Amino acid sequence: MSIKEIIKQFEPEQHNLLHILHALQDANPANYITGEALEETARHLGITKSSVYGVARYYTMFSLEPRGKYIIRVCASPVCELLRANEIIALLEEELKVKTGETTADGMFTLELSECLGQCQEAPSMMINDKVYNSLDRGRIREVLKSYRG
Amino acid sequence: MKQITITIDNQKINATEGANLLQVAKDHDIAIPHLCYHKKLSPTGACRLCIVKIEGQRGMVASCAVHVSDGMKVTAFDEELEEARKYLLDYLLSEHNEEYDGTYHDEFRELIYKYGLNNKENRRFPSIWKELGYPADETSPVLAYDAAKCIRCFRCIKGCDEVQGKNVLSFTNRGILSYIIGGFDKWGESECDGCGECIQLCPTGAIVEKPHRESINIENGIKKVRSTCPYCGVGCQLELWVQDGKVVRSNGVEGVSPNDGRLCVKGRFGYDYVSHPDRLTTPLIKKDGKFAEASWDEALDLVARKFGEIKEKYGRKSLAGYASAKTTNEDNYLFMKLVRLVFGNNNVDYCTRLCHASTVTAMLRSLGDGAGSNSIEDYETSDCMLVTGNNMIETHPVTATFVKYAAQRHDAKIIIIDPKWTPLVKDAHIWLQPRLGSDVALLNGMIRVIVKEDLIDREFIEKRVEDGMEAYEALKALVEKYTPEYTEEITGVPAELMQEAARIYAKAERPLIATGMGYSQQVTGTHNVFCLINMMLITGQIGREGAGLNPPRGQNNVQGVSDVGASPFTYPGYISVEDEENRRKVAKVWGVDPDELDGEKGLSTVEIMQAAYDGGIRGMYIMGENPMLTDPNLNHTEEAIKKLEFLVVQDIFHTETTPYADVILPATAFAESEGTYVNSDRRVLRVRKAVDPPGESRQDWEIVAEIARRMGKPLGNYRHESDIWDEIAKTAPIFAGISYDRLEQHGIQWPCPDKGHPGTATLFEERFNTPNGLGKLHPVDYAEQSERASEEYPLILNTGRILYQYHSSTMSRRNKALTDFANDAYVLVHPTDASKFGIADRQKVKIISRRGEIENISVNVSEEVLPGELFMPFHYSEAPVNRLTRDELDPYSKIAPFKLSAVRIEA
Repeated sequence: MSIKEIIKQFEPEQHNLLHILHALQDANPANYITGEALEETARHLGITKSSVYGVARYYTMFSLEPRGKYIIRVCASPVCELLRANEIIALLEEELKVKTGETTADGMFTLELSECLGQCQEAPSMMINDKVYNSLDRGRIREVLKSYRG
Repeated sequence: MKQITITIDNQKINATEGANLLQVAKDHDIAIPHLCYHKKLSPTGACRLCIVKIEGQRGMVASCAVHVSDGMKVTAFDEELEEARKYLLDYLLSEHNEEYDGTYHDEFRELIYKYGLNNKENRRFPSIWKELGYPADETSPVLAYDAAKCIRCFRCIKGCDEVQGKNVLSFTNRGILSYIIGGFDKWGESECDGCGECIQLCPTGAIVEKPHRESINIENGIKKVRSTCPYCGVGCQLELWVQDGKVVRSNGVEGVSPNDGRLCVKGRFGYDYVSHPDRLTTPLIKKDGKFAEASWDEALDLVARKFGEIKEKYGRKSLAGYASAKTTNEDNYLFMKLVRLVFGNNNVDYCTRLCHASTVTAMLRSLGDGAGSNSIEDYETSDCMLVTGNNMIETHPVTATFVKYAAQRHDAKIIIIDPKWTPLVKDAHIWLQPRLGSDVALLNGMIRVIVKEDLIDREFIEKRVEDGMEAYEALKALVEKYTPEYTEEITGVPAELMQEAARIYAKAERPLIATGMGYSQQVTGTHNVFCLINMMLITGQIGREGAGLNPPRGQNNVQGVSDVGASPFTYPGYISVEDEENRRKVAKVWGVDPDELDGEKGLSTVEIMQAAYDGGIRGMYIMGENPMLTDPNLNHTEEAIKKLEFLVVQDIFHTETTPYADVILPATAFAESEGTYVNSDRRVLRVRKAVDPPGESRQDWEIVAEIARRMGKPLGNYRHESDIWDEIAKTAPIFAGISYDRLEQHGIQWPCPDKGHPGTATLFEERFNTPNGLGKLHPVDYAEQSERASEEYPLILNTGRILYQYHSSTMSRRNKALTDFANDAYVLVHPTDASKFGIADRQKVKIISRRGEIENISVNVSEEVLPGELFMPFHYSEAPVNRLTRDELDPYSKIAPFKLSAVRIEA
C-alpha cells in the first residue's frame, strides 16, 4: 500500500493520529515514518505539520530515521538496572557492533533503551519488536539473536 | 456577575466571582511574579512563580490557576514564598542561556535581577544549558528561535492557537530536552504566516524578530509612538519603536480595541517602506518628457496656474480629484474642500468606488448607513457568521482571529459563500461554492427556504420594515421561482447545503454577515447586497449586539474618506450634495457664499476616467492613488490619462501612475503624519507622527492647502491637524462629539453626536437611519451576466488579494519581510482546465480578454478554483490583471466588475 492508501483507511479525525502513525511505521520495512508520510498525515487530518511532528517525536516508539528490521529495546528502569542491565546493553553493543541508538550495518537490528517493560519479576528484560525476552544473560542473548539471524 | 471581596496581603479587593486570582492581583498593582501567564491566554501553570498561599488550602498554589471566591484570604508575599520563587528562578536559570543582546523586553531577566540571581554567588544550581545541546531555528524569514533561551512557558504555542487560531506551533521531545517547533522542526517550512504573535508574547527572547536585530538596543533610547496600522481597515493599534529617526519595530498595543495586541505580518513587519530609499523627496516637474527636481514654490505655483487656466478655459466642471483611502481624514477633508470650493464642482472620489461602493449603496438605500453595523470584537461571541466573497484570513487577518475564535472555541458556525477556496474554509461549517456571478440566485434560493419553512421574524418585519408584511409578500412572490432545484441549476451549489445554510443563519441568536469584494465587485454588486439585506431583514438579524451586516474595509482609511465627504454624491457625514440646507450650513462653517458650492452630483472614479477620455475632464489631481494598476480596463484608463492636459500626482513613491503626471508632489507616509483614520467598525483612531519625513516631503493636507491658497481660495487657518478635525466635527453630525483629546487612549465609534456620548458600538438598535426610520426590502431577480464564457474566451477570471501584498503593492513590496514570503504573480487554474488546455503547473502563459492581454504569468494548478474559473492576485505591476478587467459598471454604485472577466489562456 502507498502512504496515501494507508492514511485513507482512517477517517480524517484528529484522534486517529496515533493509529495512522503506527500504521505508517509498521508498513515501512525500515521501521520509521518518512517526511512525506508526516506531510500526508497532516494534510489528511487537516492539522498543522507541527501537531503531527510533535506527537511523532514525543513517543519513543516512533522513529523519523530509518531503523533496522528488528528494534531491540532493553529495559533501563531501576529493577533491570539493579540486575545489571548495563552489562546486557554492553553485550548487545558488542554482539551487534553498534552503539545504543544505532542500526547494524546489515540493517537487521536497531538497539534502543526502554522505560520499564513491566517484567520486573524476571528482569533483566528486553523486547524485539513485539516480543518480550526475560531473564537475560550472555547465553540467552546469543541464542535469541541467532534465532533472528536465522 | 457577582461582585465579591477577597484580601491579598491584608488588602481588601473587590473582584468578580470566578475571576483569575493572578489577574485580579495584577489589576490592583500587586506584582506577583509570573512568566507563563498572559491575560490573553488560558492559564498554563508551568512556571510556578505566581505561587501564593490561600487560607484553608494546603501549601502553595499557582495563583494563575485559581478562581477567586468570596472571602478568599491570600498571601502573595512572605519570606517562604519569595524563597520558593527564587529557587524556581534559579532552577530555570541553570538550563538557560542568559546572554542578552538588548533587542527585546526580557521579563525573565528582570526577575533574575529582582531576585539577585544576576550575582552568580547567589545561585545554588550550576549552569548546564551548554551540555544539553539545544537547537536554534533561523529558517523563518522574520523570526529566530533559540531553545537555549526558552523556558517552555508555552505562551507562543497558546498565542498561535488561542489568539491567532493558527496552531502552527507545537513542542517536541520530552522533559528538559523539549523545545518549541514550527512545522517539521523548520519554522520556515511551516504554515507560519509571520504574524509574530509568538514574538510579542515571548517573555525571554527565545523568539525574536529578525529585522533590525543588529541595530536595536532598547537600553540606548527607543522612542515608542502609538499609531494606527497603514494597511487594511481593521485599524490595529501599533506601538512603533523609533531609533535614530527610523521605525525599527512595530508591536501590537495590548488591551485596546480593535486588535488587543494582535497584528498580522503586514502590521508587524511592513513598516520598512517608510524609510525606503525609493521615497520621493522633492517635487518633480516634467520637462521635455523627463522629470526634473523643482522647489515647492515652483511646483505649487505651476499646479495652481495650470488648474486655474483649465478652469478658466473649459469651465469649473473640467477638473477632478482622486482622494486617497491611505491618507488621513484631515488630508481628505481638505482635499474634498479644495475640489468643492476651489475647483468648484463635486468631481471627487476615490478607490471606495472600486471596493465597497455597491455594499455602501445597498446599505444606504435599505438601512440608511453604509458602514458596518457591529464591532469587530462581536465576531468573537457570534454563533453564526455568514462570510460572503470575503477572504478575511488574508485580507483582514486580525478580524479573522475573532471569527476563528468563535468557531474553534465555542462552536460558532461559519458559512462561507465563495467560488474560490479560502483558508477560512478549514474552520467553516458549510462552504457554498457558487459559480462566479450567480450570488443573487443563491441568496434568493436561501430566502425562499426561510419563507417556506417560516423562519421569518414577523414582529421585526411589521415593526421595522417599510410597508411591513406587504413588502415581505412582494419579496416572497419574487423568490417563489428560486426552488432548491432551480437555484442549484444556476449556482451549482448542492440544494441541501444551501438549505442548511439558510436554516442556520435564520435560526442563529447572534449572526453576523461579513461581506467582501467577491460580492461587491460585480456588475450586480448592489443587487448582491440587497439580497443579503433582504434575508437579514425578514429574519430580524440586525439591530442588536452581535447581529448585523459588516463590510470589512480594505484600506486603512477607506471608511473615513467617505465619512468626511470625499465623495461625488455626499458631503461630510453622508449628507447629499443636493441637500441645499446642508450646503448652506457647510458654507457657513467654511465662511463662503453657499452659491459657490455646486449642488449637482459629481463624477465617480471610473466616470472621471471616462470623462477624461471624452474630453470633459481636462485636469486632474490624484492624491495617493494608483489608478494605472488598480482601475479596471487599464488600457482604456491609460488612454484617458494620456488625454489629460494636466495631471498632478501626490504620493510617497513613483507608481505606475506617476509617469503620466506633469507634476509629482512628495507626501508623507503614515509614520510621518498626524491625524485620524476611521476603521471598519466606524472607530475614529489617532495616527501619530513617529519620524520626520524624508527630504522635503510634506503632509498631504499642507500641500492641498497650499495649492488652494495659490489658486486664490485659502481653505482656512489650520495650525494643527486637530483644527481640521474640529471643523470636520462641525460639518459631519456623526463626528460632532469627537475631538482629539477624547482619542488619546482609545478610538470612538461614530455616530457620536455630542461630547458626552460614548460612541456607538452597534447601529440600528432602535431605528434605521432612513428618513422614516424603517429598513427597506429590495426584491431583485437574478440576471445573467453580460460577460459570459464563450468559445473564444472559455474561462472566467476572478481577481483578488493575498496576505503578504497590499493593493498596488507600492508599500508592501518595499519590505523584505513581506517579499520574502510572497513576491510572484500567478494564476490559479483548476486541474481539469489545465489538462483540457494542455497547461502544466508552473508553466508561463498568456491570458487574453476582450480588453487586453498579459503574458509571462506562472500557472499554479490548484483545486482552490472551480473548473472553468481562474484566479489572479492584482498586486503585481508586472502582471497587471486589470488590463483584462471590464469597466462596465454596476448601475447603482458605479463599481466595476473586477471579479468576472471572460478570458482565454495561451501557452
